[in-house]
Amino acid sequence: MHLLRSAFLALVMLAAQPAQAQAPRPLVWGDTLPATLDPHAIFDVPSQFVLLNVYDGLYRYQGNPPRLEPWLAESHTVSADGLTWDFTLRAGVKFHDGSAMTAEDVVYSFRRLLTMNRGPSAAFTPVLTPDRVTATGPLTVRFVLSSPYSPFLTAMPLVAIVNPRAIAPNVVNNDWGAAWLAVNSAGSGAYSVLPGNYQPRVSLDIQRFPDFFRGWAGNPRPVETVRARPVMETSTRVLALLRGEIDATDSYLPTDQVERVERNPRTRVARDESMRVFVIRMNNMRSPFNNRDARLCLTHAFNYEGFNNVILRGFVVRNGGPNPNNLWGNPPDLVPYAFDLTRARAHCDAARAAGVDLSRPLEIHVQNELEQTVQAAQMYQADLRRLGITLRIVPNTWPGITSSTTRSETTPDMWIHWVSTYFVDPENWVGQMYDSQFHGTWKASSWYSNPEVDRLLRAARTSLNREERQRLYADATRRVVADAPDIWVYNTVNLRGLSRRIEGYTFSPVGSGGEIRLMSLAE
Amino acid sequence: MLAYIARRIALALPALFGLVVLTFILSRVIPGDPAATLAGDAATPAQIADIRARYGLDRPIMEQAWVHMRQVLSGDLGNSIFSGRPVSEDIARRLPATLELTFVALLLATCLGIPLGLLAALNHNGPIDHLVRVLSVGGLAMASFWLAIMLQLQFSMEWDLLPLRGRMDVPLGLPPRVTGFLLIDSLLAGRGDMFVDAARHLVLPAVTLALPGLATIARFTRSGVLEALQKDYVLYARAAGYGRFRLATIYVLRNAITVTVTQIGLLFGALISGAVAIEAVFDWPGLGTYAVQAILSADYKALLAVTLVVGVIYAAVNVLVDVAQALIDPRVALQ
Repeated sequence: MHLLRSAFLALVMLAAQPAQAQAPRPLVWGDTLPATLDPHAIFDVPSQFVLLNVYDGLYRYQGNPPRLEPWLAESHTVSADGLTWDFTLRAGVKFHDGSAMTAEDVVYSFRRLLTMNRGPSAAFTPVLTPDRVTATGPLTVRFVLSSPYSPFLTAMPLVAIVNPRAIAPNVVNNDWGAAWLAVNSAGSGAYSVLPGNYQPRVSLDIQRFPDFFRGWAGNPRPVETVRARPVMETSTRVLALLRGEIDATDSYLPTDQVERVERNPRTRVARDESMRVFVIRMNNMRSPFNNRDARLCLTHAFNYEGFNNVILRGFVVRNGGPNPNNLWGNPPDLVPYAFDLTRARAHCDAARAAGVDLSRPLEIHVQNELEQTVQAAQMYQADLRRLGITLRIVPNTWPGITSSTTRSETTPDMWIHWVSTYFVDPENWVGQMYDSQFHGTWKASSWYSNPEVDRLLRAARTSLNREERQRLYADATRRVVADAPDIWVYNTVNLRGLSRRIEGYTFSPVGSGGEIRLMSLAE
Repeated sequence: MLAYIARRIALALPALFGLVVLTFILSRVIPGDPAATLAGDAATPAQIADIRARYGLDRPIMEQAWVHMRQVLSGDLGNSIFSGRPVSEDIARRLPATLELTFVALLLATCLGIPLGLLAALNHNGPIDHLVRVLSVGGLAMASFWLAIMLQLQFSMEWDLLPLRGRMDVPLGLPPRVTGFLLIDSLLAGRGDMFVDAARHLVLPAVTLALPGLATIARFTRSGVLEALQKDYVLYARAAGYGRFRLATIYVLRNAITVTVTQIGLLFGALISGAVAIEAVFDWPGLGTYAVQAILSADYKALLAVTLVVGVIYAAVNVLVDVAQALIDPRVALQ
């Protein structure tokens, strides 16, 4: 009877008016969600939303250009040899269950990360083992590195401090609570996960944590509830924003949609120069890319201005090297390569004269779901044809490409990707892209090898002197650019479509402006 | 009849076995290393090797296939290599969304396709017949993702009549989960507003998904009816003075519909696989979007499970179609 009554009522309403929600709309965040909530199991761009809102690290990047600020830590000291790092923790930090954070919790978090050996652990495992993280007091933690590693501090924001008391009852088969933490949370961040709601990549609801350790005085009207609902298709995402179904898109709004979003009275586009370099990789271990003239030929054959200013409508900034322009350690006098088919032809001729075979078709792998990579390849294909070089475009996916770059034999001739900001240090770009010790990782997938560059980068990695590091990185970058192992195209301007009811949106290249605690909703 | 059903089920089992083996081998020989994907963006080769060993991905392919078969036979679809969660749980959450969409689309296609086909045949070479033929060709030729976007632009953006995406308006939340079918769960919860909202969200994706099926059903019904109309028994029935409506619906349609029923069964499978594109455009959190995400993240465990579940549904529907045919036309079972 109850069912019949409901059905009748429903049919009457269906025939009448569309359903109207009575309560004010919560903030609906349309950016991508990670496949798991466990901050130690995964590290990619979507997982930073959870890292920044649900968890805290000892340090955190804020603003643009990003400043590294003490967060759960109050301060730190480092020994003269660069091996011993002591952190003093902030008192009075509470986890979402109300328990206080202690040094033991920080030790547990790092041991969990390093033992599970997943996600962001790769930034630490070369220099840190679980037993070298110890609590030296209730609020002091010591890290003893196996060798000096100056980016250690800049990588600190990658590590979420988790609450072992929440995890302990949910440990199964010594899994460090991984199965439980994949769908639950144990953090101290500004927002806590509403239990039972999370569906990987589909939905996540978070609510404001009133006892957040930094307090809420800086934001008198914080957002109480956030419903993260990623929209898979770009066109649907834009339409959903225009229609008011979501309040924010991801930060890769297609450039041809910017005008449309800005024309709508309810929406706007936040434009922020980020630190995300668009690069066309070349497999330097394979002919013809193992010849510098051939690489220079290919470098001069890319129409940077046409791509950046016409196809991408000027919503990017030309970037002539591996480091983002706006990063310290980037040589200010770096002159980007220009599109010049005459010079390209001359270098090609020189390569041919040296016995390089440029007649075989070259393959460029694109990420099919990312339109810009396809557009760049198609434009490049047309220009290379004018030089008598055949470029074959191969559709692929990010995992498909990255997993093939573990060996030089399986690495594609060329492929296109971005290098995002995982931590703000030249080590994240030139350091890990061109030091030959990283061969086998996707970042070093051009298989470039130059002993002098290796020496400079390794010296920069172990020096604790910022000025010296700056000089070393600048020197290494100049040499890398002169060798032209890759084609660097632009530094990203992040474009995020936003509803005008969102106020206080603050961009940082780390997390792409996804820190909700700074936002409020217009009444 | 029972022996007939048992025979049909027995015939489906080797197909399912082949599906499991073939999809496993395909998933492991195509480019893409799940270990590298799982290790994440910052992984070192040593980390990737460690994960490969931990998950048995470094074993010979046939050994991995054997382990997979044993798992499947014991009812374990494994864990997603990305989220670490049991794939069966993910699928159980996603499948009702796809089934709800597919059922509604199939209902639409059948309820409109059969009468349209019948009408066209009864007005052979008349204006209605021409119109149905044009609609059929158009329905089959139109790319579903294009149609989806067009419907979104017109009905959501231009006329503001229907929702653009998803299964339910976000602020409304969801009814307590009982079946996973929002239409049913909202009624069980006594929430008429949710039922209406879920129904409104279903309209555009279901229409998009139904159109090619509708065209197919209309065409098969039309040709079946046309063929039946030439039969002697129709002539005799006409001579005996049966009315046009009774003749068409009871004598002609029943004889003509067996082919259409087969098509409906096949369509069900096609609709589930066709839902991949539709779900992506309408942001429908079903099995299709799950499969796409599994492909993009090289989550082969999830992908294998989706393939198997769709295969089982397809096989089950085919058995049901065979049974339905036997019920409509007992000669089928006797053969």
